[in-house]
Amino acid sequence: MTVNGAGRPRSTVGVSGEPLWLLGVLAAVAILPALPFINNFIIAAVVRALIFIALGQAWNVVAGIGGLLSLGHGVFLGIGCYTMGILFNHFGLPPWFGVFAGVALACVVAAAMGALTLRVRGVFFALATVSVSLALVQLSRHFVDLTGGADGLSLKFIGNSLWVGQSRTPTPFLYAGLAVVVLYYFATRMILASSFGLTMMAVRDDETAAAAAGVAVFRTKLFGLVLSAGMTAFAAALYMQFYMAIDPEAAFGLSQAIQLQLPSLLGGIGTAIGPVIGGAIMIFMSEVTNWGSTKIGVEGGDILVYGILLLVVVLRAPQGVAGLFKSAIVR
Amino acid sequence: MTSLALEVVGVGRRFGGLVALRDVTFSVAEGEIVGLIGPNGAGKSTLFEIISGNMPPSHGAIRYFGADVTGKAAYLRRRDGLCRTFQKVRLFETMTVEQNVRVAASQCLPSGRSLASEVDDMLQQFHLGDLRHRKPSELTLADRKRVEIARAVAGACRLLMLDESLSGLTHDEAHRLVSEIILLNKSRGITVVIVEHVLSVLAAMVQRLVVLHNATIVAMGTPTEIANNPLVIEAYLGSQGGALT
Ligand SMILES: Nc1ncnc2c1ncn2[C@@H]1O[C@H](COP(=O)(O)OP(=O)(O)O)[C@@H](O)[C@H]1O
Ligand SMILES: [Mg+2]
Repeated sequence: MTVNGAGRPRSTVGVSGEPLWLLGVLAAVAILPALPFINNFIIAAVVRALIFIALGQAWNVVAGIGGLLSLGHGVFLGIGCYTMGILFNHFGLPPWFGVFAGVALACVVAAAMGALTLRVRGVFFALATVSVSLALVQLSRHFVDLTGGADGLSLKFIGNSLWVGQSRTPTPFLYAGLAVVVLYYFATRMILASSFGLTMMAVRDDETAAAAAGVAVFRTKLFGLVLSAGMTAFAAALYMQFYMAIDPEAAFGLSQAIQLQLPSLLGGIGTAIGPVIGGAIMIFMSEVTNWGSTKIGVEGGDILVYGILLLVVVLRAPQGVAGLFKSAIVR
Repeated sequence: MTSLALEVVGVGRRFGGLVALRDVTFSVAEGEIVGLIGPNGAGKSTLFEIISGNMPPSHGAIRYFGADVTGKAAYLRRRDGLCRTFQKVRLFETMTVEQNVRVAASQCLPSGRSLASEVDDMLQQFHLGDLRHRKPSELTLADRKRVEIARAVAGACRLLMLDESLSGLTHDEAHRLVSEIILLNKSRGITVVIVEHVLSVLAAMVQRLVVLHNATIVAMGTPTEIANNPLVIEAYLGSQGGALT
């Protein structure tokens, strides 16, 4: 066999035995609350991981599978959180309904952004995601009555109540988070195996060749973006009910934008397992650094650590941790 | 009367001040294999870009089986069976050979036909069965070109445009590919327009040659007519002396 071109084989979909051991890990997470040495502090950290895994899985759909570098996916997180929060605080609408309003609004905004920017190639889309983020910061500051301005919006606290999706302990969010992560994991696998997933990957690899293969490039990108935005706004429900608050920085800020991208980049972009591994690593690192930086009295150590992590991944393992495992198995 | 698969009508194309094509008019009958030859920079690839819908012409029109497709999007032309390859092979590099073929088949296959069997047929026809789970980067150039043609044809193909598919191949590889292309033409009734520099190979497979030189057509005819055309010998073959034989 003659080999053309250098480089290790690139990973697309994970190894076939993947769901089994993954389900094992998830089962272990599910029984966490029953274990004697596990406290709410640890469960809350796992919930944070699950939330950012889910958000990462959503970003992965458009950026990883579709190759559209969204630098401002916080837009859809923010839309989801603010919509739910406003509907709850001002109109008493429980999150079970608010989440669908948030998803719908996120999809509409994504469709509008996409329609304006996805026909042209290149960096316009990435830039547009940034400028929409900035615009929404201004908007949320302007409508102070609704959004709480720069201080942000806190959900009215009711106490333990399934109807309003609130809980004093993190355990219910553990199961909700687990459900969303498992759902998104299998959704990602389905997308990767579907004709739609193939068209997204084709567009990611080469738009001109994709069109020459009969792919409706613009429509594919648009649908991928809307799907990813909807998934982000849906996962935002976890975020909002768990944190009980959102503010412009948490929704549209730079460090949040990075936290939405990092799980896929760390774990393996464009794969189903990538954001799961990457999100877990990211939150673990962030917990450790937060603990460490509190000890030595330095703020914002996590962002520095993210930056270093990202640099290491980009330089040493562009396919992420999942890619490392895969090439270790292949070897 | 056989119908016309392709009509290029007065097509012109400028890139800023550069005229890449000037008033190009020719047609290709259904079932024909036509060679498009001409020196580097003559405008052959640009013509393919325009026919495939990847680039609009500055003037003129493209008709495909009688219908004006000049303003039609490239992907819609492809779904109607107007297919092409690229001079520099363009594959989906992160996808397997099978996925490369499957994605085209999934978009272009008329409803009611089986996607899986179309993909299998294509892989088999181009002897790619054993390579189906490989990534393009692991393949030889000849196999990469094969994958690109399989992807170009999968699902629906009535007119196939090949841009230098034979160049860069060894003599044996080129001959193998030629017989596969002829088979496509014979068994599937696919009309072929092929741009080529390996003229001896081309002369054996095409019914007609169109010669493009300095952005315009300078001759058309059978390979023998072209070989004996003084204008062509002067303009194009002069330096290569008898490259057609
Ligand atoms: N996208 C482009 N922009 C500017 N000039 C181009 C472009 N594509 C082709 N050309 C020019 O048009 C002429 C014809 O090119 P091309 O069609 O590639 O020729 P051929 O395929 O016959 O070698 C060349 O002078 C080339 O430099
Ligand atoms: Mg060319």
